[in-house]
Amino acid sequence: MMVAPPPIIAVDWIAPVAGAVIAASTIPPLLALYFLRLRRSRRVVAATMHWRRAAEDVRANAPFQRLRLSLLLLLQLLALGLVALAIAQPQVDLGLAGAEKIALLIDRSGSMGAMDGTEATTRLDDAKRQAIDRIRALHGGGLFAGPAPSIMVIAFASEAIVLCPFTDSSAQAIAAIESIEATDELSAIGGGVELARSFAAIGGEDGAASTSVPAVLEVYSDGRIGDLAGLSLRDGERVIFHRIGGEDSPNVGIGAVAVTRLPESPGEVRVFVRVVSWRTSPTKTDLELRVDGRLVAVTPSPVDLGAATQDADTGALLPGQTQAVFPGVQVPAGAVVEVRVTADDLLAADNAARVVAPRLGGLKIALVGRGSFVLRSVIQGMSPASFETFTPEAWNARVAKDPLAPDAFDVVVLEQVTVQSMARGRYLMFGSAPVGTSIVPFGTKEQVVPRSIRSEHPLMQYVNLDDLFVASMTAVAPGSDSDVVVEASEGPMILTLSRGPLTLVYVPFDPIDTEWPFQRSFVNFTANALAWLAAGGLPAADEPLRPGDVAAGRLPAGAQSPRAQFSSGTTAPLSLLEGGRFTLGPLRRAGTATIAWQGGSQTGLSTSIAYAVNMDCQAEGCLDTALGLQLATNSVAAQPSRAASQSVWQWLLLAAALVLLLEWWVWLRRT
Amino acid sequence: MSDPRTVDELLDSRLMAHLDRLDVVSKKIFAGKIHGERRSRRRGQSVEFADFRNYAHGDDLRFVDWNIYARLDRLFLKMFLEEEDLSLVIAVDASASMDFGTPNKMQYARRLAMALGYIGLVNNNRVSLFSFSDDRIERLTGLRGRRRTREMGQWLLQLQPRGEADFTAACRAIALGGQGRGVLLLISDFLFSDGFEKGLRSVAGRGFDVYALQLLAPDEIDPARHGLLGDLRLVDSESAAEVEVTASSAVVQQYRDRLDAHVASLREYCVRRSIAHQVVETSLQLETLLVDYLRRRGLLA
Repeated sequence: MMVAPPPIIAVDWIAPVAGAVIAASTIPPLLALYFLRLRRSRRVVAATMHWRRAAEDVRANAPFQRLRLSLLLLLQLLALGLVALAIAQPQVDLGLAGAEKIALLIDRSGSMGAMDGTEATTRLDDAKRQAIDRIRALHGGGLFAGPAPSIMVIAFASEAIVLCPFTDSSAQAIAAIESIEATDELSAIGGGVELARSFAAIGGEDGAASTSVPAVLEVYSDGRIGDLAGLSLRDGERVIFHRIGGEDSPNVGIGAVAVTRLPESPGEVRVFVRVVSWRTSPTKTDLELRVDGRLVAVTPSPVDLGAATQDADTGALLPGQTQAVFPGVQVPAGAVVEVRVTADDLLAADNAARVVAPRLGGLKIALVGRGSFVLRSVIQGMSPASFETFTPEAWNARVAKDPLAPDAFDVVVLEQVTVQSMARGRYLMFGSAPVGTSIVPFGTKEQVVPRSIRSEHPLMQYVNLDDLFVASMTAVAPGSDSDVVVEASEGPMILTLSRGPLTLVYVPFDPIDTEWPFQRSFVNFTANALAWLAAGGLPAADEPLRPGDVAAGRLPAGAQSPRAQFSSGTTAPLSLLEGGRFTLGPLRRAGTATIAWQGGSQTGLSTSIAYAVNMDCQAEGCLDTALGLQLATNSVAAQPSRAASQSVWQWLLLAAALVLLLEWWVWLRRT
Repeated sequence: MSDPRTVDELLDSRLMAHLDRLDVVSKKIFAGKIHGERRSRRRGQSVEFADFRNYAHGDDLRFVDWNIYARLDRLFLKMFLEEEDLSLVIAVDASASMDFGTPNKMQYARRLAMALGYIGLVNNNRVSLFSFSDDRIERLTGLRGRRRTREMGQWLLQLQPRGEADFTAACRAIALGGQGRGVLLLISDFLFSDGFEKGLRSVAGRGFDVYALQLLAPDEIDPARHGLLGDLRLVDSESAAEVEVTASSAVVQQYRDRLDAHVASLREYCVRRSIAHQVVETSLQLETLLVDYLRRRGLLA
């Protein structure tokens, strides 16, 4: 089903009843007065006898000829009609006559930060201004206005938030729009549409019962919205797209950045950069490399960037790309490495990308159990900062002596053993079921193969379990604090558990009994698990975040007065959860966020963790505005900007004044 | 055409030079009061022989035909056609309706009457002028000879159009005015509320050689072309009666049809009574009217 785009020019009447009343109460009297006392110009003629007879003859055949041919009357009727129309306060644009509810969905994603708005403002500023004008037009009827539609304000980027539920207060809606802050997030409108539908269904802020008329969705965006293809309109639902931004907005940005420490010189890193260009012609740009804000390197010559091209199949714009490398830069652990393009463009947020340099040494790992060759080889191959092995008895004795002993290690690997206490710590456990947790063993299963794999989970990055066959596995039932990552028909094959200071990755079978240790996926899984556990069951801090992500981690025991510092210069105190866990965000702007604290012993002298937040230049860097919204089953053309919420009553009054002047001039010429 | 204020402006020298070669022609032979330049049916002392009659006592012996007496021994008296003067009567409508149009009908009537009267005076005709307006009839009679031209002009200049003319009474006054029979020129727009029939009838039966010159202004003939359109309250210049008219194209066309019918009825009435009728649009050059139109109609030669 294709929905025709909204009409280019439609009229919304703010006070139609008042206009009709004025017209009905003035035009008929004018006609009556005209018939009763037509103002005629006086002319002396030689004799009137022929005129009298001629008029009588014509009047006998056309009783309304007087009215039909009176220019003055026509001008007066025209002026009166224009005044009545002005009082009715038509608005040229949206065709929303009868709309009871209007949801304003304002895009605040990264591309809306492009500085191509009018008066050197951002697209978001333009969108907010147009939306406020729209509200004022809808509620600006004054004395003669009829009931204005209820307005809801929703801001959306990677997630949508309701800033103002359906309200009849224009001040409240305008205040909500003015409170919208820019983000560098991706753009997704689905959540906003669902919110609008839900609020329309449950009624307004006063809890009144909803009507059967769905809300009109007015979208203020540049049209670069990621989830449009999955959005369908319901019956009677209307979408009006206010296109914000220019058609040609060249942009150059950093697509990706990564750093690796040099094996031969752990103090140095090699920085890999991918630069993208959305310009339609080839261009060049210099790259700057900064470490903790200090300029340390510049590309010896500008890097060449090809022109953006159009995909022959989809018509989508594909950016020109190139890659660059900064070899051998001395970077301390935890420092923020930033790469910046120097080309001028309209979007600043993607001109820099940052990454946190990985720690110099590896993890502190303890292995409890038999210490099989395979597992030891894998762990030692990861160059851990320290690697100790314990027998189960030695480990139990150590924990009994010092309950905080597990915190001395980033990860404790338990291989086919059961320890007495797992109250705190981070464990990678193979084989035997854990004790004192919500995971309950209930037997043994044989000949098990994975059936369901959550490949998006950090543990499963670059892990392929297609060839995994387990001859015997402990059958367990996960608890409410467990998260199954890989599942077989017989039960979980890999699961995680997070409860207070305890974080556990549990593999209920012995890898030695399978061929998995001989596959690359086992090495990747072990590395993923160790990194994930070391980060407290959260993504590692040295992996860049996207705007909208939440930075989460774990501070060392004894950390005090934690606070968050942002690259924008603002700071905020940070609340710690149980076990030293914290969450920060969502981080909506690109830049860095640093968690700083006092005290703590686990990480030595380090008292801060930095998180890099980079804008997705591939998704938000294309600034060409869309001509319409291509929904799953509909297409909605952009509302012409010239017709967006334009009140025309003042023009009608001006036209009425001009017609009256013309009428006066004609009258003077005749008298 | 500016409003003439002096006699010289009323009849300029160039037009006078053209008019000097013209003469008023009558289709009839009339008896005049004094010897003129025209034949009369009355026997007189001209050189043109008419008839013989028996001598009677007291006859002038100078007119006895002595040759016949020698042959027949009887006295016969020779009779000659007497040449009489022509009475040229010019009646000018000075009602308020004549003070209308561009060019103004009254101004045109003054100039036309002046030109025709001048032709009469130059040719030793007995010229009489009448004007009728507002129930008043003014006259200037007994003009003869070129030297009376200025007097005639002054009289025409002092005419002021006013009121509603009584055409019938004016024609009766002319018919009974004792001007003798001759050529009667009626200069008017013939827009009389009580009609023109009775007036014309009174002069048609008196032996006048009558010419009805109907003056119409271009504004009257095609009012729409001259801006008479729209919602109007038309005021009659004579009676001050008002008529409310929305002058649409249909109404204007109806008016023109009415005017044409009026002119046609006047022409038909005139033809039936041997009255020459000529519509004169005031935009027509006076010289063209005199030298071309009126010569073709036989008034001037």
